[in-house]
Amino acid sequence: MSALIELRDIRLTLPSQAGDVEILRGIDLTVGKGERLGIVGPSGSGKSSLLMVVGGLERATAGEVRVLGQDLGGLGEDALARLRRDHMGVVFQSFHLIPTMSALENVATPLELARRTDAFDRAAEMLAAVGLDHRHDHYPAQLSGGEQQRVALARALAPGPELLLADEPTGNLDSRTGAAIADLMFRLAAEQGATLVLVTHAPEIAQRCSRILTMADGRVSEDREAAA
Amino acid sequence: MPFWLKLGLRELRGGLSGFRVFLLCLALGVGGVAAVGSVVSAIEHGLAAQGREILGGDVAVEFSYRFATAPERAWLDRQGRVSEVTDLRSMLDAGGDAADRALVQVKGVDAAYPLYGAARLEGGGDLQSALALRDGVYGLVADPVVIARLGIAPGARVTLGGGSFELRGALAAEPDQASARFLMGPRVIVQTDGLLAAGLLGEGTLFSTAYRVRGADVHALRLGFESAFPNAGGRWRDTSDPAPGARRVVDRLGSFLVLTGLAALAVGGVGVGAAVQGYLGRKTRTIAALRTIGAGAGEILAGYSLQIGAIAGLGILAGLVLGGGAVLVAGPMLAERLPVPAEFGLYPRPLALAALYGALTAALFTLWPLARLRELRPAVLFRETAEEPGGWPRPAMLGLVLLLALVLVATVIATSGEPGLAAWVTGAVAAGFAVLRAAAWGARAGARRLAHAPVLRHRPGLRLALGAIGAPGGQTGEVVLALGLGLGVLAAIGQIDANMQRVIRDELPQGSPAFFFVDIQQHQLDPFRELIAGIEDVGKIDTAPMMRGIVTHLNGVPAAEAKYDPDAGWVLRGDRGLTYSAGLPDGATVIRGDWWPQDYSGPPLVSFAEEEAGELGLDVGSTITVNVLGRPLTARVANLRPVVWGGLGINFLMVFNPSALAGSPHGHIATVHAEPDAEAPVMRATARAFPNVTAIRVRTQVERFSKALEDLGAATRWAALALFATGLAVLVGAAGTAAQRQTGEAAVLKVLGASRSRILGSFALRAGLMGALAGGVALIWGTAAAWGATRFVLHMSFVPEGWAALVVVAGGAALNLLAGMAFAMRPLSRRPAGVLRQAAG
Repeated sequence: MSALIELRDIRLTLPSQAGDVEILRGIDLTVGKGERLGIVGPSGSGKSSLLMVVGGLERATAGEVRVLGQDLGGLGEDALARLRRDHMGVVFQSFHLIPTMSALENVATPLELARRTDAFDRAAEMLAAVGLDHRHDHYPAQLSGGEQQRVALARALAPGPELLLADEPTGNLDSRTGAAIADLMFRLAAEQGATLVLVTHAPEIAQRCSRILTMADGRVSEDREAAA
Repeated sequence: MPFWLKLGLRELRGGLSGFRVFLLCLALGVGGVAAVGSVVSAIEHGLAAQGREILGGDVAVEFSYRFATAPERAWLDRQGRVSEVTDLRSMLDAGGDAADRALVQVKGVDAAYPLYGAARLEGGGDLQSALALRDGVYGLVADPVVIARLGIAPGARVTLGGGSFELRGALAAEPDQASARFLMGPRVIVQTDGLLAAGLLGEGTLFSTAYRVRGADVHALRLGFESAFPNAGGRWRDTSDPAPGARRVVDRLGSFLVLTGLAALAVGGVGVGAAVQGYLGRKTRTIAALRTIGAGAGEILAGYSLQIGAIAGLGILAGLVLGGGAVLVAGPMLAERLPVPAEFGLYPRPLALAALYGALTAALFTLWPLARLRELRPAVLFRETAEEPGGWPRPAMLGLVLLLALVLVATVIATSGEPGLAAWVTGAVAAGFAVLRAAAWGARAGARRLAHAPVLRHRPGLRLALGAIGAPGGQTGEVVLALGLGLGVLAAIGQIDANMQRVIRDELPQGSPAFFFVDIQQHQLDPFRELIAGIEDVGKIDTAPMMRGIVTHLNGVPAAEAKYDPDAGWVLRGDRGLTYSAGLPDGATVIRGDWWPQDYSGPPLVSFAEEEAGELGLDVGSTITVNVLGRPLTARVANLRPVVWGGLGINFLMVFNPSALAGSPHGHIATVHAEPDAEAPVMRATARAFPNVTAIRVRTQVERFSKALEDLGAATRWAALALFATGLAVLVGAAGTAAQRQTGEAAVLKVLGASRSRILGSFALRAGLMGALAGGVALIWGTAAAWGATRFVLHMSFVPEGWAALVVVAGGAALNLLAGMAFAMRPLSRRPAGVLRQAAG
């Protein structure tokens, strides 16, 4: 299995009013293509920060980050944005949909940014895939939390990314809706052959991954194959 | 201590964070009003303090083209020390070509001049000795402008009328300058005896005399004089209002500028309201939490009113310091440039008025968002997003808002000094508000609809921009209002100014005469006509007998007690030109009554200008009494004629039948049409043949008037700039608020793969579109206001100026773009992870 993500001694320090805070303290990690990696750990252990570093949304203070064969440390902001546009999808706990756009437009936006001529057809296809083909023209504020996360998932997967990053995608949802979103995410990622890196607090969701990384205090405390 | 007081004081501990734009808007608006009011007060105090110098005495009586009779002069001499001053227009001739002649305003003085103050000559020296007769030649001092124009130096011989004078100095200061009426040319001072010797004060010449008395009480003096000489027909002035013309201009311009300042305050109010709304929006969760634990809506309203009221007080104070201080600092520089005396200082009235306007505006614009606090439900704590309270306040609060608006408008109208103008301006600002609010609402709805149009698919940047413009709770409303009001006033001023300049430069000269000639004596009339007619490229020559008189009674009622439309006030102020004619003058028509027979010699009849007759309450059959050369002449109105004053032809308010005026000594005036090439030969020929005749070149006067208008326009533009600066402060506030939203958008767009240039392009597009929209609406209402003012106030034709339109729309787009871009860099530079983490928290 070829490596899609390679992290070498990653460190992340962020400034705060009380002084610098060490978030990541030397992470080494390799994730192969097609893997489903679940990252778990207590709050403040650095799970989300690690995901942000992998997605190029946060720059590591030290260490080497190679994603999809590219050294992220050597890429500028716009190159990182292009890399995400062409190869990655990101799903957040708080959805982060654009409030002034309809569901269809939200899903079509990354495709438009990639200048895909079939942007709206593909967006409609993805909304149908997440069960929202009747909600094309609804604004985020007119959708429930679960529906908003479905739109966010459709938006992340619409360009057919090789890597799907999900930061506690069920954290703001009730257990039943969360389970449904997780089902959808695992199914669609598998259908598209996307590598999945998922941060979660929910053990039952982590258990559905092929590999589970446990973090504590900015370090990897355990890295194991999932029991399933 | 009650809870609301504690709440207010605790919130005040948070300092001024979030209130910078609030303070700036209020300080700029109050500062503008305070500054203009302080300048007007300084001029009023200057005029009052130097009343004696300006008037040239404690009291003055003026006559039109006559001297006081011997008994009148003897009576005046018994009251105190008297100085006699004559005033007329004439041609100063340095010898040689036509270019060596200049129209000047001549002041003839006696040995007692000036009774108060002192005239100063450049390089020092005494005025009286400079004017004295030496070696048979009278001295002359002149404004440095005319000395430079004629290229002469002290010692040069110059001619006025038929007399030769020696230039003995340049006039540096004239103590009674501010009391002079409209000057047709630069000032020249000589002894009155010199003018008499030059033949410039003969019968029928247009001149005026003023007798200034030192050490007399105006009321007693006037009563005594008028009972001794009931038909003297003098105009009285005293030190309480030594320069009514200058005062009227200052009052009117001052009122206009204060009203512009108030418009600035209204624009600032938009920023104040938006700042309070934003602040309370950020406090929603705190307020909901307070409600949850039992705080009453009234207590919360009172607490936050206290906090915002205290900060508003600070803003008003800052404005007073800014406005009053700026005038104090700039006072010495301003004093040098003002044509009237000014005593700069801190005057309580304009500062108190500015503070009152500021307080009322702040209350009006903050009450609305504060009133909506009452409607906030604690349930917002349990929602995903803390939304700002929206919707309409309850009826009682709405009533209070309306009442405050009425109090503000009433205060403005009552205190402006120009109630009519104030009513117009407040009405225009209110209409502007309504139009801009409606435009903002329409723009939001249109942008929302357009953002989802299929045609915009594959243009996510434009869609995002339109979505932001259409978003509820966005900045479209305040940007359109602030920029629209500011640009609208600028557009209106620009259009009015451009139209006035166009009318003066382009319309008036077409078909207008090239010259006016005054003081042509009866025996000179035919030779004058013959001389002019013999010059190449000279067209029509019109002449008319001309004398001046003061309207003293309307239908037997003294003019001072008569009721009339204020628009016709000018007819009764000072003296007016009169003429006589046996037949209906060329080009005139009678619309009521009949013209008298050619040989009519019965009781005096007068033909009156139709519009002014209506305004004065006169009709055919009414009587009017005019004092001509100290003799009352009562005539019956025989007919009414429409008169177009803008035409620059010979127009008279009153035309009498010949026998009514035939006995009075008088001269003639003439208009001469000529090609530009013929102007110099006409000047040369008339100067040589008729030295006593004054030539007024229309082109020069148009240029002078145009320059005066430019100066007026500059003052107006400065006031408009204050308004504009306030509008900019609101824009900056709006851009700052928008930046918070843009930070989140930029982070999400980066996650989705948008480059920074693409995100910046979208932000620029929304700012530019919003600005252009505000500019477009401003252009429409500003042009409409300019059209109304030009057509109905200035009575001129109106042509929209294309360049002004372009500047307003492009300026709106550019300004909002600049404000938007200044704030867009920060959202763009922030890393997405931090922003998204914060947004989630």
